[in-house]
Amino acid sequence: MPKLVKVWQIGQISYTESLKLQKYLVNLHHKNKELANTVLCVEHPPVYTTGIRTKQYPESEANRLKELGAEFHRTDRGGLITFHGPGQLVVYPILNLKDFKSSMRWYVNQLEQSVIHLCAKFGIKAETSPHTGVWINDKKAVCAIGVHGSRFITSHGLAINCSTDLNWFKYIVPCGIEGKGVTSLSKELNRHISTQEVVPLFLDSFCKIFACNYVDFPKHE
Amino acid sequence: MVVQRFIMCAANSVTKARILNQCRKQMTNRLIHTSRWMFAERLYTNKHEWVEVDGETGTIGISQYAQEALGDVVYAQLPDVDTVLKQKDECGALESVKAASEVYSPISGKVIEKNLNIEETPSLINSSCYDKGWLFKVKLSNKEELSGLMTEEQYNDFVKTQEH
Repeated sequence: MPKLVKVWQIGQISYTESLKLQKYLVNLHHKNKELANTVLCVEHPPVYTTGIRTKQYPESEANRLKELGAEFHRTDRGGLITFHGPGQLVVYPILNLKDFKSSMRWYVNQLEQSVIHLCAKFGIKAETSPHTGVWINDKKAVCAIGVHGSRFITSHGLAINCSTDLNWFKYIVPCGIEGKGVTSLSKELNRHISTQEVVPLFLDSFCKIFACNYVDFPKHE
Repeated sequence: MVVQRFIMCAANSVTKARILNQCRKQMTNRLIHTSRWMFAERLYTNKHEWVEVDGETGTIGISQYAQEALGDVVYAQLPDVDTVLKQKDECGALESVKAASEVYSPISGKVIEKNLNIEETPSLINSSCYDKGWLFKVKLSNKEELSGLMTEEQYNDFVKTQEH
């Protein structure tokens, strides 16, 4: 029987609210609630976030970035600094890896493969590299990944640049990787590609790679 | 003459027996020492952490299964010295492939040392998870907890059930 995940296409939500929601969903898993595997699809107002290796971004850095008009949050995910904003599809799979395969390394690789599968639908050849993420021509990142595992319950996730204003990335070294750039699906294809266009395509790729089916989050929940 | 030879044989046998006994005792002693060294017992949790107890001190790390599942560790967040931990408390995180995975304490106690080598060289957790890649040491506060943990054999059986 194929595994089932519930998908909630929330649209615009603040970063703080999304953290609360993720925590709530992770707790449902810990309480052994059935059918708790959920995938959130969101978009954030401009925000810079860091992972557990946060000391290299002191308060002065945080303040500098806030002055640009973005929020700044320190989180418990893996990965270094990145940006989320309008035009970027952010996906938070809250999964119990024991329903799939209890390996973070496997999970992250599956996320990369899902995005590569998605890019192929647009005729874009994307790849993995020694740096976690999804790259075009090994030089430009179209997707960033940063996740957290709590007893194999995942949170945080990935961010795909659909029509993101890439200027926001100029103010940081994205994911701490010097010498590499950032791109978006719109930039690569020279036409506007909205997050709404990408969501169903991504979910289809995700389900193929993770061998599952999805249903929309029931309204009453 | 026969009697003398008999006595000599007997004496020899006794001497041989005595020598044999001594050898056996020595061998047994040596075997016991070797066993203690080889099986200084590591006990395991179902979250793939291990603890090795020496008197009042427990050294804690993650298992081979865990380090393989993580991938290359690039950063270790360890509990500070003097932190008081309860069994199963979340006490740190290991980052690999942009994934931060929580570490849980297998036993209750007070942290007396954290492995500064892995703060410098996190890959030791991958290359030497049972030896140089230890994470932190605690002074045990409740030795009874050890009886609830798995032996190496039980843990190996447990790991087999995880691989599906």
